[in-house]
Amino acid sequence: MGKFNVKNKVEEVKKTLNESVDFSYRYFKRESQVIGFIFLKSIIDPQLFSSAIYFPIQSSDGELTIDLLKNDLIKCVDIKEVKEKDLVKEILDGRVILITNFSGKILSIDLLKFPTRAPTEPPTSPVIQGPREGFVEDMQTNVTLLRRRLKTPNLVMDVVRIGSQTQTKVVVTYLKDIANKKIVKEVKDKLSKIKVDGVLDSYNILFYLEKRPSSLFKQIGNTEKPDIVVSKMLEGKVAIIVDNSPIVLTVPFIFIEDLQNSNDYYTNHHYSSFVRVIRLLGLLIALIAPGFYLALQLFHYNILPLNFLITIADTTQGLPFTPFLEILFIFLLFQVLYEVSLRLPSYLGLATSVVGALILGDTGVKAGLISPPGVIIVALSKIALYTIPEEAPQITVLQLVFIVLGGSLGLIGVVSGLVYIINYLNDFDSYQTPYLAPYSPRVTQDLKDAIFIDPIYSQRYRPQSFSPQKKERV
Amino acid sequence: MKQISIRQCGVIIVMCIFANKILLMPSLMYERTSADSIFVMLLLFLLDFVMLPIFIKLKSIYPDKKFYDILKERLGTFVTKVIYLLLLAFFFFKCLLVFSITYVYFKQQIYQDEFIFLALIAFLPVINCAVFNGLRAFSRTIEMFFWIVITGFVVCLAISLFTPISVPLFFMSSAKDFLYSMHNHIFAFGDFIFLFLVMDRIDFKKGSIKRLYCYALSGIFLVTLLFYLFYAKYQMTAFMHNNALADLLVFSVQFNAIGRLDIIAMLTIMFITLFQMEIFSFAFCDCFINIFPLNKTFAVVVFDILFCLLYYVFIGRYETMVMSSLFWLPYLAIFINYILPILMLVLIFIKTRRDKLEKKD
Repeated sequence: MGKFNVKNKVEEVKKTLNESVDFSYRYFKRESQVIGFIFLKSIIDPQLFSSAIYFPIQSSDGELTIDLLKNDLIKCVDIKEVKEKDLVKEILDGRVILITNFSGKILSIDLLKFPTRAPTEPPTSPVIQGPREGFVEDMQTNVTLLRRRLKTPNLVMDVVRIGSQTQTKVVVTYLKDIANKKIVKEVKDKLSKIKVDGVLDSYNILFYLEKRPSSLFKQIGNTEKPDIVVSKMLEGKVAIIVDNSPIVLTVPFIFIEDLQNSNDYYTNHHYSSFVRVIRLLGLLIALIAPGFYLALQLFHYNILPLNFLITIADTTQGLPFTPFLEILFIFLLFQVLYEVSLRLPSYLGLATSVVGALILGDTGVKAGLISPPGVIIVALSKIALYTIPEEAPQITVLQLVFIVLGGSLGLIGVVSGLVYIINYLNDFDSYQTPYLAPYSPRVTQDLKDAIFIDPIYSQRYRPQSFSPQKKERV
Repeated sequence: MKQISIRQCGVIIVMCIFANKILLMPSLMYERTSADSIFVMLLLFLLDFVMLPIFIKLKSIYPDKKFYDILKERLGTFVTKVIYLLLLAFFFFKCLLVFSITYVYFKQQIYQDEFIFLALIAFLPVINCAVFNGLRAFSRTIEMFFWIVITGFVVCLAISLFTPISVPLFFMSSAKDFLYSMHNHIFAFGDFIFLFLVMDRIDFKKGSIKRLYCYALSGIFLVTLLFYLFYAKYQMTAFMHNNALADLLVFSVQFNAIGRLDIIAMLTIMFITLFQMEIFSFAFCDCFINIFPLNKTFAVVVFDILFCLLYYVFIGRYETMVMSSLFWLPYLAIFINYILPILMLVLIFIKTRRDKLEKKD
């Protein structure tokens, strides 16, 4: 192995990195011996560089050898020898490259450091009880959060790099004695086929992992909480951590997962079951309430109780819109307000919500443009939507579909729509797992943590739907 | 191979048992055999029930073989195709009849104006989707809604108990009427024949046979209970009430005080009709694909065209359609319900005998 001309090598790397503003190098000379350090100062820890690398070398005596540097002088944990062709890649990964004129070996020292935020409670899944830590953008922190909870040699973390420009690290992590090997293979295969220039967030790879990327329905689980990821891995699922993203993906995903909440596992199981039933009811109300109301009002008014019918007739008399257009109008109004309040700064968003809900709604009714039952039904369905916020995007689209079905075909339309959707969902098995399990098909064992939840001590077996290698939780 | 579980198989059987029996049939039967219709129905069920052990035996002999291939191996391609053509017609007319009866019910109850196109728009995409998604997907759907449907059904039966009912008068009809009624309504039966078509896609496990019998018996029990309560409630006027399950809820004073409960029957009937049509249209397409070397899309298109055309012919001639089911469709049903199972029995006998002889040699 030839020795290096240190200065030439530094210049060569500098040119390769386009003389980047954060490109840095240092030389250390002792008699005829020259050591060069190459790094990107924006992503390394300069203090550690001084104290753990430069100062120990400076304060040493005698002739330097590469083994001496590697084993004694440099006080860093992660030092490795790398090949010349990997030099630039290592620098870009936040490592300091050490080259000498007395050895052909190149050392790569991990000094990666960039601004990160501390793990805090994620805004998307707050808990009343239970751990409050959430994932952050830094992959190393995320890996630490998982490792802290899974002290087992069976924890596997395979790294792949995706994105020709971003070279984003993607970690496929699972428990090798529990996760189904076929699922692990399928995930890895799908990741290896991704050919893009950049991956900025886990959502960028999400669509590549889905069985039907064009489908409306969510097919991959996502969470910001390490305790949830660990519990899913213990069920036999595979987690995918993407560098620079606080969202960790999990596969396989089944619909019932969105009905579950981390709070459920830290409170009494009777209460948790009750809350899950409420969530399911909320989902049903959100999905079909406006369509059902329209169907009753337009086609099946004879099955409404008389008093209720009179109330509706009184309030809808003289409206300029047909019932169908009225519900559609209120629905769109709510959606516009929602979008506005979401994008405006919080102080303005609140004001817009007040103006929208109170002024527009109230004046709309008083002006005789919309009816109070219509407003109540749509508002109810919109509120109920957020009993399962994870499903909100798809349910919003389906609300519109059911409004059209209920308004044009009546109750038959609503029922047909429901059966059609369930039929459709029953057809896709994501990662060898039925989407609507454990209810369709019925997996009796898995019903212990479905809509009703059994106490933790009776959940002795892992969910069969995910075909884990080890069935029993021991 | 995407297989279905024995539970899914059971719920399909229950839906088939409900087909064409829960709305119009009780009143139609009453015209000829009054309350003895229950016995007519039970006898027809008993004859149907014979098919189940034959199916189970056939499945145990040929666990992974398609019904079509078994027939082809034993009877040749031509005869098999003829049998499948008859099966195709059988399922098609069953589907058409289910739709017609439900259509009339909804037209009377809800949609007073022209409803045919609305009904077709609502139903056809769903059943087409079910055919495309396959047996496993729609059997899972039926499995998911099964308890909702059964609860709706049982609630309808239970509410009928809140009106004055008395034991119907039995043994009023002659043997001739009895046999005549049996012959006329035979087409509504033959509920287990669907199992033969999908026998290679059923995942049979140890002890699952008992469960299959349980589902079948539960379905028969519910239909019998419906007949009994319907006749007990309406007695001599039963022939005037064409929608048995829905009519059970009428005049229930205690419950009507809190609003109309017809919606329970309506929703139950909607779900049952959709599921039955999914099963029959799937069976049609399966037969079609076996007869003609064409794909599923073609089969679905043919089904839709035939369905719309025939339904168009029968618009406003509902009685003609029902009468057809009473007079000429029974001959088709006799072949499907009885001759085909006997044929299967003979094939099983020959196969078993041959195997025994081979073992001896």
